[in-house]
Formats: sequence, structure tokens, C-alpha cells
Amino acid sequence: MVTPVEAAVESLRQISTEPPVWLVPKQELSQAVRAASKLLFASLKPHCTKSPFDELLIEGFDAEQIWQQIDLQSQPLLSSLRREVKKFEKHPEEISKLKVDVEGGKKKVLEEIETENVVVNDDDDEDDDIDMDEEDEDEEEEGEEKEKGREEESENEGEEKGGIEDKFLKIKELQEYLEEDEAREFGTNKKKRKAETKKHEEDTEDEEEEGDDEENEDDTDEAEEEEEDELGLFGGDDESDEDDLGNARYEDFFSRKKSKDSEDKAKYRDMLEEDSGSDDEHVDKKRKDGLSKHEKELDELRSKIEQMEKANLDPKVWTMRGEVTAAQRQKNSALEVDLDFEHNVRPAPVITEEVTASLEDLIKTRISEGLFDDVQKAPTLSSKAPREVKELDDNKSKKGLAEIYEEEFVQKTDPASAPLTFSDELKKEASMLFKKLCLKLDALSHFHFTPKPVVEDMSIQTNVPALAMEEIAPMAVSDAAMLAPEEVFSGKGDIKEEAEMTKADRKKRRANKKRKFKAKAAKRPRANTSVRNSDEGSKV
Amino acid sequence: MLRRNIRLRREYLYRKSLEGKERLLYEKKRKIKEALLEGKPIPTELRNEEAALRQEIDLEDDYTAIPKTHIDDEYANATIRDPKILLTTSRDPSAPLVQFVKELKFVFPNAERMNRGGQVISEIIESCRAHEFTDVILVHEHRGIPDGLIISHLPFGPTAYFGLLNVVTRHDIKDKKAMGTMPEAYPHLILDNFKTKLGERTANILKHLFPVPKPDTKRIVAFANRSDYISFRHHIYEKPGGPKSVELKEIGPRFELRLYQVKLGTMEQSEAQIEWVIRPYMNTTKKRSFIGNDHESDDKRKKIKA
Repeated sequence: MVTPVEAAVESLRQISTEPPVWLVPKQELSQAVRAASKLLFASLKPHCTKSPFDELLIEGFDAEQIWQQIDLQSQPLLSSLRREVKKFEKHPEEISKLKVDVEGGKKKVLEEIETENVVVNDDDDEDDDIDMDEEDEDEEEEGEEKEKGREEESENEGEEKGGIEDKFLKIKELQEYLEEDEAREFGTNKKKRKAETKKHEEDTEDEEEEGDDEENEDDTDEAEEEEEDELGLFGGDDESDEDDLGNARYEDFFSRKKSKDSEDKAKYRDMLEEDSGSDDEHVDKKRKDGLSKHEKELDELRSKIEQMEKANLDPKVWTMRGEVTAAQRQKNSALEVDLDFEHNVRPAPVITEEVTASLEDLIKTRISEGLFDDVQKAPTLSSKAPREVKELDDNKSKKGLAEIYEEEFVQKTDPASAPLTFSDELKKEASMLFKKLCLKLDALSHFHFTPKPVVEDMSIQTNVPALAMEEIAPMAVSDAAMLAPEEVFSGKGDIKEEAEMTKADRKKRRANKKRKFKAKAAKRPRANTSVRNSDEGSKV
Repeated sequence: MLRRNIRLRREYLYRKSLEGKERLLYEKKRKIKEALLEGKPIPTELRNEEAALRQEIDLEDDYTAIPKTHIDDEYANATIRDPKILLTTSRDPSAPLVQFVKELKFVFPNAERMNRGGQVISEIIESCRAHEFTDVILVHEHRGIPDGLIISHLPFGPTAYFGLLNVVTRHDIKDKKAMGTMPEAYPHLILDNFKTKLGERTANILKHLFPVPKPDTKRIVAFANRSDYISFRHHIYEKPGGPKSVELKEIGPRFELRLYQVKLGTMEQSEAQIEWVIRPYMNTTKKRSFIGNDHESDDKRKKIKA
């Protein structure tokens, strides 16, 4: 019983893969390819529930229409597959349930896919040729055909595996190792995704980028693949089921065991997840027994590296995170950590014996010296002047009472013409005597003595209001003030207001001021020792 | 009483406001004096006022030359009259705190202890002013251990806030017989290492808690500043073998004071200007000494003396 998938694959095989064949568009070639694609479509049909077509309609349709039919079938299929993938993402244990059923069939699939990939990496030249073909023919046809062509090639080359392998490189061992390694590292969905994207890679390379992908495949093409992830999802699933792997099942591709590319490994380092499951350990144990010492060491190293990388990728511990508030760390987690602060205050002094002894020494020295910092009683400043003790004169007053009153009255009304009282006379005499004495002393003591000019004793005119000066009897008659206005006026010359001054006047005023100042400055040097400097300063 | 207070307060504020101008004048006079001494020309900005200022300088004597700040006014009367101190605690004092305050009452001569009860600080200070107290001392605690001391000088005077550390009270020492009773004579004071301006100010505040002693008292109260921590020690001395030998016997509590704030008003005036406050989170706090001089040791001084 030939399953539809097998039939499809067989038909693909029949298509010639000689590159020259593809250079020229041939009717029979296109017919063969269309037939093959119809079979593939039919094989996919059971998985797809919503497709409107029962079979791929080929006759009379051009490439675009055929492509759209395939698209119609694959779109809902893709979404359902995506749902499945997500489901497995959340519940990885279900995959292992699935896995058990199809162990046998899958293994073959595994091997073939792996060989395919290994071979694919080497087949740069052939793929370049194939890429060139794209420019000539229909895109869709070419896409499918190239894919199949490559698969065929790889299958053909599968037999020649022996050429690649030798006593050092055992593909099988390599596969096993990769499998084990990836089983350790990656989670289930990554395996799924990897499977998908690997397929997508091959498709999308054909359709979009020419030739570069081959090289990129060898390197880490993380970004590319993630971009292509979406696109790849469309085309890939189609082909993956139409693989030459006869018993291809859903579980084959969405199980952990089916880890493929080494470059995928690099890509998936970003999406690390804990591995669980006994299968891993089972696999690991098997591996460890057969490893040499060096390989064991390498394994250890690798595991250490993985651990450290993992630690680096995890979010940091809160103690390493810089400013952390209480909300961002666990409750009471600060109690477990030994926190160290830099204190900016001097700590309180610990009172030791030495400190006490030093203090007591200080006190003793102070006592023996008698140096205390007591409060001193401030010297009382006598704020009041010494009270004048007035001596009471016992003698009878020579003036009568009426005369005393008369003198007082006169003093009040006419201060200038009041006759000098007795005490004033005495005082005046005393001051005259003293002045004479001072004059004589100055003459004796000063080197440069200039006697004061003798002033004629003139009667002093006081500028008192006229009312005070006039005679008592005629009150109404007002005398002019004793001093004339010119004598009261203390200015000089023609007084002008600020506004009235002309420019010349202003200049004159300023010149006068400067002259005065210079005169004063010239006088000053007598007190100020540095004459030159002050003059020069003023000049500058 | 109220009017007198108002008048006093206004005088105080007026003199405080004059301070700025006086300081300016003083600065100008100082500059002129310097210029005259060194023989340099008088700075140009003072040329106009120079003659008048020079006259004033000639008339000055030592007393008037220094500008008086209102800070000095606070202790102007201190030397004339003996200090009168009121000691209280925070509210709800524990028994050890009450004991400590009792001890302090004997340390400061002329001190009165008062139960705090439920009085408000402003009430306390008002009544103290009315009764002519010169200082109010408040003691705070933490679970029985005294940890805070606030000294407030009364008419308007400064308030100093201290933290107490390493407190050892007389009650802790079990051997009562050995201690004996506390003498109540006016003590001699020793204030060591109060070198900076703030140090002088603190020394002033602490000094004026004590009255003028008789020259021959045997009681010593020592405030020694070591790296901004002021140690309080209370001793009695004897000179058993002649004048040079001194024997000390420690009595009284012993504690370390740590100044953390000086305010220019009394305790109740919360809006008073802060003269100085400790800055523990400044980066250079560790390297600076605010009250005294940490780097000069006594040995150096002795060497220079010798």
C-alpha cells in the first residue's frame, strides 16, 4: 500500500535533476512537476480540513493560479499547525506522549533529514546553479522544483555518504552528539520551530534570496531566520509533509528528539528553556559511557559554559542590580545580605582606660597650673559720670530776692543783653587765664610754633529774630533783623539752578571741584606717608 | 512684665538689625587702618569717607573698636548675676531618667528640678522668664538611657542641642559608700580644645551655666573636646603632698556630648534662625572638626612652650 505521500515523493524522484535539463522550458518537464505537485497536494489533503479543493487543478491553469490553490490549502493548515505548536510550547510533556508512538518511523525520517542538511551545507555550487535557473522560469514552479530537486540530489548523494565519512568523521556519531546536545539545551518548541524554520530556510532562500543563504546557513543567521520565520511558516509546512520521509508524522517534527542543525543551536541560544524529561537523561547516559576522556572533559567544559551563559542571560540578582527599592526585591531579602555602608561621621569615642587616663592627666596639669576657664566677673563700667557734689554756700546771698528775679526775667526775654552773672564772669576769667597758659606752653614745646592771630574782640552779632532784639515797650514796631540777608547767605557769587547753567558754567564748576580736591590731596600727604602714590593714583 | 518683654525684644531686634551696618563700618575702618599701617594707598572706594572715618578711628579705644553682635548681648548680664537653672525632662520620664536629672541638679549649682507633667514647652519658658531664670535644661531619653540634652539660655538666648553618649550615672555605681555625698561648692571649670568660632560659642554656652567660683574650691568640672565629642567629667581633687601632687577622685555622672544644633532663639521659638547644624551626610564631614582642633596635640604645645 502506497501512501499518498510516498506516491508524491516517488513522482518527485522521477523528475530529472540534471541542471542542463532545467535551462530550457520543456513541456514534459512542467507536466511532470505539475503532476508531482498534484500528488503532494493530495497527500496533504487529509490533514487539511477546510480546503475548498479536493485536488489540485492543473489543466489549463497557469503557475499563478496553481500557486494560489496551494496557498488556499496551506493557509488554514498553517494556522492550525501554529496552534498546535503553541500548545506544545505550553505543555511539553505532551510531546513525549506523542513521541512514543512513532519512534520507529521517525528515526528513518531523522536520519534522512540530517543527512540532507549535512549535504546541503556542502552543496554550494549546485545550489548556485539552481538559483540561476530561477530567473528563467516561473517562480512558483521553480520554487517547488528546486526544492524537490535538491532533496533528490541530497538523496542521491546520500549513497555517496561514504565519500564524506572516514575513520575520523562519523556522520552518525555527529548526529547523535548533536541530538544529545540539543536535547540538553533546547526546549521542545524550539525543536519544533527549528524543524519548521529549517524547512522555511530552504524554501524562502529559493524564493527570495539567491545564493547568500547557503553561506548564511553555515553562519548564524539569526535575524534572517527570525524574519523568515513568518514567511517560512507559509511555505515550509507544505513541503515538510511532502518529504520523501514516508512515515512523516506530526510527531516527527514536533518532538524533542528531532534536533537538527548546528546553526540552529546557535540561533536558539537566545531562547533558552529548562529541559525536562527522562529522555534526556536516558540519552545522556548512553552518551557518557561511550565517550573518551577528552570528550568527557569537553562535555564538562561545555556544560560549564552553558551554565555561565545561562546565568548571564538571566535577570540579575537584586544585589547586583544597582538601585533597588524594596518593591523590587523579595521581602526580608536585605536581611540576608551583608550590607556595607560608608559612614561619614566619626564614630562615638569608646571610653577606654587610656582615654580616661589622658583626661585625668589633663585635669591634673590644669589644677597644678591653676589654669581654669571660669566665668570672670566683668569690670563694672561706671556708666554714670561722677556726681557733682554741690557745695551749699552758707553765706548770705548778696543780692536781694527781687534782683534775682529781675535777672532771671531779663535772661529769658533778652538773652544777649543780660548782664553776665557772677559765675559766668569767673568762668570767663578762668578760661582766659588758661588760654594764656596754653599759648605759653605751646611756644615752649612745639618746634614750629605759630602763634594764633590775635582776634579783636568784636561784638558778636547773633542772628536772632527781630522780636527778641527789639525794645520791650513798642511791640508793634518791628526792627529789621540784625543781620542783613547778604550776611546770612553763605554761598558765593551768582547762584544758578542746575537747569540754568550753561555748558561753560558746568565746566567751571567741575574745574573748581577738581581744584579743591587737588588742594585737599596735596594737604593730606602730611598725614599720609606716601605722597607720590596718592597723587599718581588720583592722576590716573 | 509683658510690656517690658516687648520692649526688650524690640531693642534686641533693633540692635540685631544695626549689626549689618555696624559691621560694614567696622570693615571700612579696618581697611583704612590696615592701609595706614602698611603704608599702602587707601582703597579707592573709601576715599570720600576716609576723613570722617579716620577721625572716628582716632577716637576709638579697645572697647569700642570691636563690633558688638547681638550674640554677645545674650551673655551680657551673665557675669553680673549668678545663673539660675531649671532642669526638666521630656514627658513621661522613666525612673532612670529621673535619677539622672536628680544627679544633674547637684552638678549645676543653683539648679532647680521640676517634674514635667503635661506642660508645654512654651509655657515652661514663659514662666521661667517671669521668674528670672537664666537657663532651662531639658533631658531626653531612650528606654531609660539619657540620650539628649537641650540647653536654652533664657532672655532670648541661644539654644544648644546635644546628644548624650556613653552615659554613666552615679546610680549605676553600686558602691554608694565609696562615692560619698556630692559637694555643692561652686566648681572650677576646665574647657579644653574649643578652638573654632563655634567652639568658642559652645564654650560660652557651657561656661555660663556655672557661677563665679571661689578660687580655692576643690571641685572641678571638665569639658574636654576630642574630635567633636565633648567629654564631661566631674572630679574632686586633693593635694596631699604639697602643691605639685594632685589626686583626683571622680564623682558625678560622666557622659559624652555631641553638639548637633545651635539656634539663635529659645527652645520654643521654632522659627528662630539656626546658627549651626550638623551635616552628617556631607562628604567631607569626616575630615573636618567643627568645635576644636584635632590635629594639634598637647605635646606639640608643650614642646613649643619649652
